[in-house]
Amino acid sequence: MSGDASDADAGDRRGVVATGLYLPRRRLDGDEVEAAWGTSPPVDRAAVPAADEDALTMAVAAGRDALDRWDSAAADVAHLAVATTTPPLEEEAFAPRIGAALGLASEISTATTTQSTAAGGEALLSGADADGPALVVVADAPEGDAATVGRRVGAGAAAFLVADDADVVLADRARESTDAPGLRLRERGQTAVSELDITTYERETVRDVVSTAVERLDVAHDAVGAASLHQPTGDIPHRIGAALPYDGAAIARGTVVDDVGDAGAATVAIGLLAGLDAVEAGGTVVAGFFGSGATAVGLGFEAESRVETGVEAAIGAGEAVSYPAALRARGAIGRTEVAGGGAHVSLPSWQRTIPQRYRLVAGRCPECDAVAFPPEGACPACHARVDFESERLARTGEIVAVTAIGQGGAPPEFVEQQRRDGPFAVAIVEAPVAGDGTGSARFPAQVTGRDPGSVSVGDAVTGALRRIYTAEGVTRYGLKFVPE
Amino acid sequence: MTDAYIIGAGQSDFGSFPDRSYRSLFDDAFDEAVDSVDGDFDADDVDEAFLGTLGVGGRQLGLSGPAVTEHLGLHGIPTTRVENACAASGYALRQAVMAVRSGMADLVLAGGYEVMTDTSGDHTKWWLGVSGETEWERLSGTTFAGVYAQMASAYLRAHDATVEDLSRVAVKNHGNGARNPHAHLGFECTLEDAMNAPDVAAPLNLYHCCPTTDGASAVLVASEDVAGQLSDAPVRVSGAGAASGRVGLFQRESLTGIPASATAAERAYQEAGISPDDLDFAEVHDCFAIAELAAYEDLGFCDRGEAPRLLREGVTDPDGDLPVNTSGGLKSKGHPIGATGTGQVVEAFAQLRGDAHVQVDDPEIGVAHNVGGSGGGVTVHVFERVAEGDV
Repeated sequence: MSGDASDADAGDRRGVVATGLYLPRRRLDGDEVEAAWGTSPPVDRAAVPAADEDALTMAVAAGRDALDRWDSAAADVAHLAVATTTPPLEEEAFAPRIGAALGLASEISTATTTQSTAAGGEALLSGADADGPALVVVADAPEGDAATVGRRVGAGAAAFLVADDADVVLADRARESTDAPGLRLRERGQTAVSELDITTYERETVRDVVSTAVERLDVAHDAVGAASLHQPTGDIPHRIGAALPYDGAAIARGTVVDDVGDAGAATVAIGLLAGLDAVEAGGTVVAGFFGSGATAVGLGFEAESRVETGVEAAIGAGEAVSYPAALRARGAIGRTEVAGGGAHVSLPSWQRTIPQRYRLVAGRCPECDAVAFPPEGACPACHARVDFESERLARTGEIVAVTAIGQGGAPPEFVEQQRRDGPFAVAIVEAPVAGDGTGSARFPAQVTGRDPGSVSVGDAVTGALRRIYTAEGVTRYGLKFVPE
Repeated sequence: MTDAYIIGAGQSDFGSFPDRSYRSLFDDAFDEAVDSVDGDFDADDVDEAFLGTLGVGGRQLGLSGPAVTEHLGLHGIPTTRVENACAASGYALRQAVMAVRSGMADLVLAGGYEVMTDTSGDHTKWWLGVSGETEWERLSGTTFAGVYAQMASAYLRAHDATVEDLSRVAVKNHGNGARNPHAHLGFECTLEDAMNAPDVAAPLNLYHCCPTTDGASAVLVASEDVAGQLSDAPVRVSGAGAASGRVGLFQRESLTGIPASATAAERAYQEAGISPDDLDFAEVHDCFAIAELAAYEDLGFCDRGEAPRLLREGVTDPDGDLPVNTSGGLKSKGHPIGATGTGQVVEAFAQLRGDAHVQVDDPEIGVAHNVGGSGGGVTVHVFERVAEGDV
């Protein structure tokens, strides 16, 4: 099945032109899990998403990282492919919101793949087959019962800008499928992934399907410097690799599960970033995605130059969190319903402010030059009723006032977040007009990604899309701010 | 134009009364106001009522004003419910003063009421928090404690001020409130207590925040003629100032003060023909400790950044040059939102007639300052003692 009909013309040299990565800040050490359960931990460390993070927010963060590393503008992206096993909602496209948050054009084609850990491979192929530059984002934060799969699940996101004339060329692709149910499944209506734990059946199926797909790739297998193979735990890729002509070091270069945990569809994609980062110019990197059912997608990349993906630094960063705190953050220790409801801001009125909440679109007063945020009503300075000229505020600003909302002090719509993540800081941020513009504007925003007690007036902060709150079943997203 | 005079003022107990209705609490306030009238008061002479409430916890969003006056037996009089968040009854008083000065009414009831402690904490926070700037400020995760805490963070950064200065507000106001039998939290506290309480919204701790309170207050506002007939020592409303500001703190030019307070005070002083130096006492809106510091500066008691010095030097203590919140303030007396503005007038009326629990020595002029939200609406009223025989 090597080189199927839709493969791009060799002359296009289609492949990866920029990459992006996002890992949640907090990490749960396996020793914590071992102390709790009395058995050796399934992974060395796992990234723990905050209560205000999900596959969508991580996808936006990784996508932004990729766009920032690309030499073209977000408006030039022609196709958006997203993959996750765990979209925020079971039914509802989430590509449009990612596109809006990243400032992509509204008319681009989108593709969402889900329901399988192989979704990341499918999304990369969707990007490879698209016309024009494609942004491929694989983001995941699977959930599992705290006693089983939940002991190893992590989170993270990888993004790839796929375009012609790439230095990292997608040299070949291959697939393999077989009827083998029950390896990893999520029942209808359930949020947690489960496994039947039939060890030999699982290991052999994964090994055979993934190694068969990867082996079919028309690449110089003896030149493979790194391989990112299906990795729910650290031993599995080596078991797959035993059926392939790669040495243990090549497999280790593409294995990240012991650093980020089982990040569902995203683990192999993050491993691919690690592999691209690890090989020298001229090296070959392969990826083997597996999805239970079962199916595998093999991808072979030839890297003409080394790629800086930042994966090593991101893995090295992070902050340790205790096992109870990790369970709490993930909502594993119960969730709460708030009495009396929350502030009712209607969905349409929230949607009207999306340009402000995602992209800090402000207004300039044509009379007095003051900057208004949000750009509505009379001018905040001269109080004239004007039509504001559109301006963008920079995504980086300074805290001019801040508080840390303690336990019991959160408005009802933030009680669940506080229950899971603890006290949070809320600042008034002053951000300058983006680019060469003059002036600045202030707005209130939550500070995230830091101990709220360490946040103070004068700190520089940068915007990141996060979950704000959920009402009527709909999660509202917007920018929060992370200290530099 | 006739002047407007206060001839009676009273309040219910302020506190947590989950078994009381807002109407019955207002009955108490009205009865105490009537009792404070020197002459023979006839309820049938009340021409009109303006009553402030945020909305009594959502249980009676419409027509709570008429519900109160009908319950009280003031049958048939026109009643207007006034809503300007925590400044609701400051504005109700303003309406009453305007009605009297215009000549449309001779005797007007101004007051306010609130009950909130019979609902869950979440319900209360939901209800209170949507009086700020909801779409942005509230949905960034703040209640009012958070917004005032932001103000405090900016103030502490801008000036020579510390958390201890915020705690001094609590110590002083609790010291006064401990002598007020109507107070919600009528106990003294030490500086140590007020420094070591748990944070509500850092840098504000529990002792820097007023409680959620049930209560009612009532003020009888009369024309010169009626005041002369019914009162031996009426109190003249010599200055009625009010101003609006952007509802969100982030939308205003100052993060360390409340511009509408400064404007309302200027207007009130100008009308009264006084300067802040002429004041003998003040009731200011200390919903959070930082609000009292800001009030000192907005109302011109001192220059910007000097408020901590006033507290440290005891200038605003009961025996200082300008006693502030001798009633205990919102911090100790309590803050039944809609009842707070006219509740402050109860204290001003008592001070100027020599009946206060913490009595200032022979005061002639006092001021009451009532803030809605974090500064979206403010009233400042100047009250003057009237020499006997002058009305």
